[in-house]
Amino acid sequence: MSGLPETVGTIRAPLALGLLALAFVLLALSGVAFGSTWIALDQVAGVILGAGDRTQQIIVLQLRLPRVAIAILAGGGMAVAGFLLQKITRNSLASPGVLGVIDGAALGVVIFLAALSNESNALVTSIAYQPVAAAIGALVAISLVFILSGRQASSAIRLLLFGIAVAAVAKSLTMILMLIGPIYQTSQAARWLAGAVNEVNWGEIQITAIAMVPIMLLVLVACRKLPPADLDEVSARGIGLDLPVFRILIFALAAALTALSVAFVGGVGFVGLMAPHLARLLVGRNIFAGLVGSFLLGAIMLVGADLIVRVLFAPVEVPAGTVTAIIGAPYFLFLLMGKQRHDG
Amino acid sequence: MPVVYAALTLALCGALLSSMTLGYRLYGLDQVWAALFAFDGSETAVVIANLRLPRAVIAPLVGAGLGVAGVIVQTLARNRIASPDTLGLNAGASLGVVVASFWLGIGSLVGLSLAAALGALAASLLVFAIAAGAGGLSPLRIVLIGVTIAGLGHSLVEVVLTTNEAQLQQLLFWLSGAFVDRPMALAQTGAPIIVLGIALALLLARQLDALQADDSTATGLGVPLVLVRGGSFVAVSLLTGAAVAMAGPVGFVGLVVPHAARWLVGLRHDRLIPVAALIGAIYATLADVAARFVIYPTEAPVGAITAVVGGIVLLALLKRRAA
Repeated sequence: MSGLPETVGTIRAPLALGLLALAFVLLALSGVAFGSTWIALDQVAGVILGAGDRTQQIIVLQLRLPRVAIAILAGGGMAVAGFLLQKITRNSLASPGVLGVIDGAALGVVIFLAALSNESNALVTSIAYQPVAAAIGALVAISLVFILSGRQASSAIRLLLFGIAVAAVAKSLTMILMLIGPIYQTSQAARWLAGAVNEVNWGEIQITAIAMVPIMLLVLVACRKLPPADLDEVSARGIGLDLPVFRILIFALAAALTALSVAFVGGVGFVGLMAPHLARLLVGRNIFAGLVGSFLLGAIMLVGADLIVRVLFAPVEVPAGTVTAIIGAPYFLFLLMGKQRHDG
Repeated sequence: MPVVYAALTLALCGALLSSMTLGYRLYGLDQVWAALFAFDGSETAVVIANLRLPRAVIAPLVGAGLGVAGVIVQTLARNRIASPDTLGLNAGASLGVVVASFWLGIGSLVGLSLAAALGALAASLLVFAIAAGAGGLSPLRIVLIGVTIAGLGHSLVEVVLTTNEAQLQQLLFWLSGAFVDRPMALAQTGAPIIVLGIALALLLARQLDALQADDSTATGLGVPLVLVRGGSFVAVSLLTGAAVAMAGPVGFVGLVVPHAARWLVGLRHDRLIPVAALIGAIYATLADVAARFVIYPTEAPVGAITAVVGGIVLLALLKRRAA
């Protein structure tokens, strides 16, 4: 990996992380405060602590907090998945999208919408089962990737290519189903594909959080072994690290995080590609700092995106996933252009 | 080596013949011959000459262009999972089309084609300008700037699409690429550009070989890095721009064709480029034929077919090389 310079300063990483955390908290709070009605921050705090009138309680606790909470979990989860994949494959184009998980989940959703609709295009079951379909689709896709790649799963570029192939097949099946399906299904599926954080309830957030916490802990344990994985196979084995097995474990963790993130929210894939790169530019190459930074940046991107769609496009509900790139991309380009001046 | 070229050329001829004869109606070779060389104005002749022929010309052109563009991009980015879309070209084209149809009210095919070409060109210029302005065209920088621009373009497209649900389905078809109902004039404009792009790529073949190694090796071999990268950008822009203008953003051809070509002839670009052009042409033509039958009698978007078939081919290639 030539190109981007080493930017780690021993003091810089904690400082950058602190600033990121601050931005994250501020953004999460304004995510609750802004919307069709403005609720001042002290009132937000009050409502969370149990005060406030009934309207405010409903707005904060039922409408806004769930959006912010799921955006944090999904954005952060996606970003960490992307971080792990980019580290372990040493490929800057690796992201949760290339493992086939997102497209598999999308296919699950589209099949669910197509198979369980009656003649008048109304769903015969509750839309609440849509996340289940997404999770099943994601699981099937990732299992296919691992089964098909077989013993090659330990080679990074191989597994990526297998993932891309499976993703491509799932994606085009999704496309065909959307084209032959009725309009309602098409737009419902298109919303899912773009990724939206509205219409989540606390039960769903609970499921996501309960499943995500142990995975994140595992990631934290595993990431202490990540730096040697930057080595080639021979040196890694030399210091007693069984690389292929370790790599598959990391892939599995990333896949699980992605599946959890997309199940309730939809295809917010760009976060997983961009946030780790942003984190590297901001906090340097330290693994732990990169991991935390990725999580914070992913959460910031999705919470911010949701805030933008609520403020700019109201009353139309535009899926937040559509604008994540609009937040992250210009800043990332700015960073890329600035970096060159230091080493140029 | 000649055997490979001969076999591929033969396969291309077969693909073209099936593209002319198979479809909603089946035609015999004699009818095709008569329509092309002894046009009598009959219904059959009109269908063959006006509907089938343009597809059989445009599909291989698009496939060849995207295949070669994919080879160049993967070398330029030193990344085997890069494709023309990595540089934001397809996203730019899609954005061009969406802007033209929603905000400028353009509905004609020629207008949309022009918008696609302009969008792709704008994206490519943007990526190049930012990368060059930042002082380096290093592979990592090109890739990162490319995917960022691509993400930006895709998300703008999605914003427009999700706020205008009524026109969603119609545009979705365009956005996944198709060869159906294209006028011959489009091929006449596109063909020279594709040929020019492939010629430029062949001209750069030796330098691209050196570019596969690291920068200092390439410089040591006397390769003018900036010039070669700039030239490669121009070639990719010409090829992809012309391809999206003719057929919309047909995905996956640019990703999988280089893998198939490398599997056949190895890493030398003077062989890779012509072989990738041939494979791309065959692939797109056959995908176009398949698109007529998958959801018969409706046409499927060819981009969906290229991705399904390409995915399976890639899986097969990966499996084989393991043995």
